Amino acid sequence: MTALSEHAVEEIKALPARFPEVRSAVIPALDIAQEELGFLTPDAMTEVAQLLKLDPGYVEGVATFYSLFHLEPTGRHHFYVCTNLSCTLRGAVEICDHIKRRIGVQQFNEVSADGLFSVEEVECLGACEYAPMMRYEHNFHYDLTPEKVDALIEAAQRGARNGR
Amino acid sequence: MAGDALRGSHGPERHHVLTADFGTADLHRFDVYRGCGGYASLEKALKEMAPEEVHAEVKTSGLRGRGGAGFPTGTKWGFLPKDVPGPRYVVVNADESEPGTSKDRYLMENSPHMLLEGACIAAYAVGAHQIWIYLRGEYDKPYRLLTDAIAELRSEGIIGPSPFGKDYLLDVHIYRGHGAYICGEETALLDSLEGKRAQPRSRPPFPAVKGAWGRPTLLNNVETLSAVPWIVRHGGAEYAKFGIDRSRGTRLLSVSGNVQNPGVYEVELGVSFRHVIMELAGGPPPGRRVKVFWPGGSSAQVLPESMLDTTTDLDELARVGSMAGSGGVIVMDDAHCVVKAAHRLLRFYAHESCGKCTPCRTGGNWAVRTYERILAGEGSAVDLQILDRIQDSLQNGRCLCALGDSAGFVIMSTMKYFRDEYEEHALRNECSAEKVAVHA
Repeated sequence: MTALSEHAVEEIKALPARFPEVRSAVIPALDIAQEELGFLTPDAMTEVAQLLKLDPGYVEGVATFYSLFHLEPTGRHHFYVCTNLSCTLRGAVEICDHIKRRIGVQQFNEVSADGLFSVEEVECLGACEYAPMMRYEHNFHYDLTPEKVDALIEAAQRGARNGR
Repeated sequence: MAGDALRGSHGPERHHVLTADFGTADLHRFDVYRGCGGYASLEKALKEMAPEEVHAEVKTSGLRGRGGAGFPTGTKWGFLPKDVPGPRYVVVNADESEPGTSKDRYLMENSPHMLLEGACIAAYAVGAHQIWIYLRGEYDKPYRLLTDAIAELRSEGIIGPSPFGKDYLLDVHIYRGHGAYICGEETALLDSLEGKRAQPRSRPPFPAVKGAWGRPTLLNNVETLSAVPWIVRHGGAEYAKFGIDRSRGTRLLSVSGNVQNPGVYEVELGVSFRHVIMELAGGPPPGRRVKVFWPGGSSAQVLPESMLDTTTDLDELARVGSMAGSGGVIVMDDAHCVVKAAHRLLRFYAHESCGKCTPCRTGGNWAVRTYERILAGEGSAVDLQILDRIQDSLQNGRCLCALGDSAGFVIMSTMKYFRDEYEEHALRNECSAEKVAVHA
């Protein structure tokens, strides 16, 4: 039973004290697990459940409800591209098509052959005045063009070559 | 973050209640916000006013909730029972995710302290000591700014046992959501805060009586609370000088889609959508016309170009069969297809249904499949009847929360004003929007 590192386990154990009830710790705990592993494996969810003394089925039920939890692997660099109406009216679908072509995948959530990239279609991210936009590496990227996307992809590829 | 320039109201204007200081360098920092008069309202409330007096000013202001429902804020504050011992909470609804709505992000990124000050004042007014900010998980920058701002308040002693020397404990926590539109609905938000799948609760009991962790809870939207410092500073009567009829004050409208200057604009309630869309946002690109707009997020029934003179008065919007909602104004021009837009929005509602109520859980998916058939050129008159049946089944109190109704509104209102476009697609496999010349 060692899906998670000692450090992650300690962090999760410290969570319940922050809330009036233990159960509130489940989402932050899953977040810690996902940050470490990249996605939530069944073992990780079971371990979270044991640490919080909750039923594993309950924890999995929570994990499957929220779209920011991934139950399948993503690329090391994951694009969350908004395709809701305001972004689609300004070219979001074309941006998605461009990213897919560039990273060599056919579908959303498919991981590129080198394991570096994946792209997910998401609902409105609340930055509609900058459409089309996306979330990438914990930042919003605005007024997307194929050139801007290419620069991010190339930077990630350079990083990978340099062992980062 | 490239292209991060301010796109929206900032600087002093008569009607800039919320955004007058926006654009000031480093306004997100405590000392700068304090220098602009920040926290003077909290200090005034704590030192000079009884909680009831603060509450009275908010009532006098006529402020109505800016999250979507437009419920009178002062009345809501009054719902918390006075005589119940034990903890009670203020929960900030910062789970902005109504399509086309970005004004809470705009507020939190420009002035996180304004929200925190408003929340602290609200806590004092309703007798709460703990504030929980339920922030949508994708809002990374607001999270970083609010985290830093809270740390500043701790070191200043404003969060702690004796803010401004007053014996009144204040504490603030952030809880990050994880991607679920339904969490904007206040009882679903509470379930999420309690570590559950977010599903709306049946009411009563209302959150004011039995909210977060079973305790009395005040739930307010980011923009609603952000208006509170101004109201306390200048008085509710001053705030009520803005606006029209029962829609007092100002509000932020995030204008997006096919306009030349998309942005978050603060307006005095009562101005027309023609002013908002054609003047503030610069109207559609040259050579195109406004075809349709959503006046209050995608859940508000659409209005056609002929209704651009409708005003932002909450009650007028209700009278014309739409709603002011979240203030997300989505504009679509004549080069875009209403049926395709409705299809995209139904995909959204189908995806975001929490699954609790059957009409919403199944209706959204049936609608998406019907739209797919129509848009693939395989539609018929029967499909239009099916859409009509689905929209009816989603509405009129058949679901616990408004998500089902909202999905129904999209179908109903687009069919009401653009029946001809639906028939083009369903009966003849044609799309007149595609024939409009696009000057990119």
